Amino acid sequence: MSEFVDARTLPAGMVLTPDIAIVGGGPAGISLAMALANNTKLDLLLLESGSANFDPAVQALYTGSQSGDAYAPLEVGRLRTLGGGTNHWGGWSRPLDAIDFEKRDWVPHSGWPFPKAALDAYYPIAQNLIEAGPWIYDKGDSVAAANAPMMPLGEGGLYTSWFQFSKMRGDVVPTRFGARYEGSLKAAANIKPLLNANVTAVRLTPNAQQVDRLDAATLNPEGGIGKRFTIRPRHVVMAAGGMENARLLLASNDVMKAGVGNQNDLVGRFFGDNPIPRNVATLVVFGGKLASYYGSTQTLGEARMRAVFAPTAAFARSKKVMGSLTTLEYPVELDDIGKAAVITAANALGVDASSARAYSVGCGMELLPDRDRRLTLTGETDALGLPRLKLHNIVSDADFALYRQTLAELGRQVLASGAGLLRINCSRREDWLKNMDWGHHHLGTVRMHVDPRQGVVDGDGKVHGIANLFVAGSAVFPTYGASNPTLNLIALTLRLADHLKKVAT
Amino acid sequence: MNRRALIAGLAAAGAAVAAGLYRFTDVFVKHHPATPYDDLLTHLPDRDQAKRLGALVKGTPDANALAAQLRGKMPRGLSAAAKADIAAGRLVEVEGWLLPQSMVLLAALAAKS
Repeated sequence: MSEFVDARTLPAGMVLTPDIAIVGGGPAGISLAMALANNTKLDLLLLESGSANFDPAVQALYTGSQSGDAYAPLEVGRLRTLGGGTNHWGGWSRPLDAIDFEKRDWVPHSGWPFPKAALDAYYPIAQNLIEAGPWIYDKGDSVAAANAPMMPLGEGGLYTSWFQFSKMRGDVVPTRFGARYEGSLKAAANIKPLLNANVTAVRLTPNAQQVDRLDAATLNPEGGIGKRFTIRPRHVVMAAGGMENARLLLASNDVMKAGVGNQNDLVGRFFGDNPIPRNVATLVVFGGKLASYYGSTQTLGEARMRAVFAPTAAFARSKKVMGSLTTLEYPVELDDIGKAAVITAANALGVDASSARAYSVGCGMELLPDRDRRLTLTGETDALGLPRLKLHNIVSDADFALYRQTLAELGRQVLASGAGLLRINCSRREDWLKNMDWGHHHLGTVRMHVDPRQGVVDGDGKVHGIANLFVAGSAVFPTYGASNPTLNLIALTLRLADHLKKVAT
Repeated sequence: MNRRALIAGLAAAGAAVAAGLYRFTDVFVKHHPATPYDDLLTHLPDRDQAKRLGALVKGTPDANALAAQLRGKMPRGLSAAAKADIAAGRLVEVEGWLLPQSMVLLAALAAKS
């Protein structure tokens, strides 16, 4: 039994010597610690910058600047508390598709080092951790059809796919990893959770071949550094998120001048997220009624689910589109042109549209990898002396054009089934950007590739060239997929845990 | 005039008025001036809505050429042509609405007629 330790109570200058230091107490760090603790005697140190409660001064360590296409302020999309992003996530869960792992010849820099099958064994465990119910992502159609009729799609490039939701039943919020697994972390004899513990540098040995130590510090409540201490672990796993992992590696530049693992100028590059442009289209359903599992989450069987439209792998290959998940949102009114289109189309197809209703369409998109969409360090420092981040954000015209093709295919399929009609609301770049939201999924900045010239970490999450430094979480995703990352990054982290058990025990 | 004859006369007069209203006014049904394309436009049950849509279609040829094109595309009527368009991916965007090509061309013809 290990109680949480407040790093501010440690003696100044203390040196901790765990087998494995895990930097970051979000979903990846917590999942990793629990998996590593299971059936091993590894001495695990889980370092969390925040505490169990939100602290504005700690959160302010995240602030940064940005350029390029508008993006959320850097401190908004993440939370520096135990549990990390799960303290504000929506619970949206869906496994990545097999094609997301493939080298797609129309997607530069694509291809994971392993196929989706490499995660098969870990997905059910990840699903249990996020508490999203039984694994019925692929059975949604049959479960839903028993509840209310699905909207028929004509044969074509999109199919109805399903999200499941982390423990959202009634008023119960999605699983918050910090609160939910506090007991498990404390119960594990070999996990030492250390709160208010900020890693400020990854120090390499002079030959740059392994991590010698981590510099750490607490934040003084009045500002500035409180106590400094040191961790000398056998192995280090960076699990601080897609932005902070890159920041720490770049800022740790005393031995490797470009930053740890950045010998090929890749750390911080290829930043990804899932853009969520709103009201991208209007879908008219000739019959009017739409099953409630399209517009909101609904309990189907033993899970909370929501239907979306996804491109098939065959369509993606033939049309060279990216991943996307198209959602139906809320009812909207048609203008006179819309009514004319509906009446004329329904007459032409010989269907009754007297009860037709229109719905706003949204989506989550997969971006093309772009090495210039990147995080860099600025000259400004935070209260601990770490350089702040700057994000240069880019959404290319190609990103929008590719998704537009997918929407057009959806429009064709609803016409083919006689179920409805679709209007694409976005043509110009400004149309897409006008109602742009983001998933706050920070991806790709410490990308994974077997070739050190193309990736910071290898297929096992180990930083190329550094024997004892690993990275967990969505920072290593070389391509992003359109699925929300939490379930997937946990599955990937559990795979890393199995690897670490082999190399560290 | 007996009562029966009066009723019959009133009924006949009413029918004549109704027929007149139907034929010569838009009270019961919308009438359109005769055009050389009525064999095509008869496929549009609501020609006013089609005209509204068709007025927004860009880049179409003149009415005669359009009609000739449509006669070739619609040997089995609009519904079959529209379904064939959808199956073949021949969709046209009108103000963002994705619509079967034949239907759009016919709407454009209605707007030009």
